[in-house]
Amino acid sequence: MNAKRPVNADDRRTSRPRRFGVRRTAWLASAVAAASPSAWPAALAAQERPDEAAIPGVSLGTVYETTYVPPIAILPIEGRFGGESEARGVHDIVVRDLRYSDRFQVVDSLPAALAGQGVDYGLWDGLGADWLVKGTLDGTADGFVLEIEVHDVVFASLRARRRFSIPAPGDPRFRMAVHAASDAVVEWVTGEPGIAASRIAFAMRPWGDSTSKELYVVDSDGEDLRRVTWDESLAVSPAWSPDGGRIAYVSWKGGFPAIHELDVSTEESKALATGADGQQITPAYHPDGGEIAFARLTGRRSELFTLDLRGACCQPSKIGGGAHIDLQPTYSPGGRRVAFTSNRLGTATPQIYVMPSGGGEAVLLSPYQYGKGGHFTDPDWSPASTKVAFSGRAEGRRTRFHILVADAEAGEGRLVQLTTEGNNEDPSWAPDSRHIVFTGERSYGHGVFVVDAGTGRIRTLVAGVRAEDTDWSPPLTGRSDPP
Amino acid sequence: MFNPRLFAVAVVFLAACGAEPAPPPAPTGPTPEELEQRRQDSIAQLRAQEEAERRAEQERMEREAARRAEDNRQTLVEVVYFDYDEAAIRSDMEAKLRAKAEILRENRNVQLRMEGHADERGTSEYNIALGNARAQAVIEFISGFGLDADRFESVSYGEEQPAAQGSNESAWSRNRRVEFVVTAGGADLR
Repeated sequence: MNAKRPVNADDRRTSRPRRFGVRRTAWLASAVAAASPSAWPAALAAQERPDEAAIPGVSLGTVYETTYVPPIAILPIEGRFGGESEARGVHDIVVRDLRYSDRFQVVDSLPAALAGQGVDYGLWDGLGADWLVKGTLDGTADGFVLEIEVHDVVFASLRARRRFSIPAPGDPRFRMAVHAASDAVVEWVTGEPGIAASRIAFAMRPWGDSTSKELYVVDSDGEDLRRVTWDESLAVSPAWSPDGGRIAYVSWKGGFPAIHELDVSTEESKALATGADGQQITPAYHPDGGEIAFARLTGRRSELFTLDLRGACCQPSKIGGGAHIDLQPTYSPGGRRVAFTSNRLGTATPQIYVMPSGGGEAVLLSPYQYGKGGHFTDPDWSPASTKVAFSGRAEGRRTRFHILVADAEAGEGRLVQLTTEGNNEDPSWAPDSRHIVFTGERSYGHGVFVVDAGTGRIRTLVAGVRAEDTDWSPPLTGRSDPP
Repeated sequence: MFNPRLFAVAVVFLAACGAEPAPPPAPTGPTPEELEQRRQDSIAQLRAQEEAERRAEQERMEREAARRAEDNRQTLVEVVYFDYDEAAIRSDMEAKLRAKAEILRENRNVQLRMEGHADERGTSEYNIALGNARAQAVIEFISGFGLDADRFESVSYGEEQPAAQGSNESAWSRNRRVEFVVTAGGADLR
């Protein structure tokens, strides 16, 4: 439902009393480009140079057709009553969050003198802004109150106003509280969820350790990278629970791969009693949190199971498997279907399939060409659409992995390739069903990246890390962090 | 006239006639006990010698057995390599596995853990399944020689524990492998 293009951009544009003049937009563009070049659509449109053609059967491009990207002006947040010292920092977080939402032409670096006044819609309309964000930060006994107003310049009215309580900057919840305010702005304007108040989990080797692997978590804006497991073993394949409180993952702590569950706030983890013998990998939560799907290695095969976490503990149901490898289940938004990886068409050609979550006929989703190889894995079903992202490469030893998106409803021929450079794996959708985080290898090094499926714009989330198995959390708004 | 030859003969004759006849030897000699003791000593000496030789031979055999056991242990843990994205046993690896099976047949208490690995290409999670398939392929191959599959366990490490660092074919080919760990019966290996 959220995965469509911005809800009302077109409606607004057509119903706008006076259309933008090209000249006027250009005026604002040049004014802003000088202040913050990265804010402008010219930069948005800048693409990496493709270093190879698209995978056969796949078209290069974006998932959503971007129609209209409304200009949003953000006035400097005004610090008052003890909020003066932090106002600038809060302003910068909000501005960056709105840029990273890829839904606006963000206009900031505006004169502070404008902040203290009433809103002159005529002035803002004349400057070409569709929306205006105004905020104040007041000091309180134990932190701040951030009041945010969003004005609809086109209709000359206040769209929404809300007060957010923000802990002191030393508090680990500080940034997430500001992100929640940014997400409110996105939601007021677009009607769709923001992604600022969310985190990304992944696995990597701790610094200076060449044998173990631990889980790390980073904020959606690349800040606050921190380690969350201390198993001193191999920890991989993190999967956030729908409430954001737990992360299921695979650990070799007990000598062989088994599913564990981490409490994010206490950083304590325990083995999950799945009732299944043998090695278990690639867990995924059902969207209602009451069930977990995973793969169990049986003989040479790998089979899919689901486990009811509520009652009937530890009697897993087999939902798929044969004389081949099935793994990496990922639930559809309603939980009625799963996408997964299987090499049933050939040992060296894993492909992506979709089937009912209770088991049943599996339908091919990835771009298989008869008689040709190719390697397609790591499916991730978006939290609110029929889009499934995965990683794949065409047949051939020199081909590279790219991030692809298929539509589980549209059938064959609706495949889009979002990356063109280096190797790209482990895609995971953001809560807005629009951004995708992935691990990438570039000529200049490894890192974690975020691509906006709407514009194709790619930003670096964490540079210089060799991460694996990225998983984007659900919205963490209102969620408190460990002290 | 002096004949020196005749003189020498005369001297010898005179000397012989002049010597007192020796008394007959006393009938003292070794007592029967002493003889017995000597016999015992001689036997003990032979025994000790024999024992030393036996011990030397035993030590030699033990050394030899230890060497063989060590060779066998080496053969058992010798790493088996695979082709890219494949879990099928390579024909040039079959001899290694056959040798392992021979040793396992003669050492019924020995148990093994097969540890499957993959190179870094392909996604890491798929590589866990691939590493497992390799370990299982090895178990199936060895069990095919009439060995009880219960003697074997497997674990996959996917691409997480490379034997060689680097992103080139030379490193990858050394990382697509199954390693072997003796989990029981190692002390009695012969």
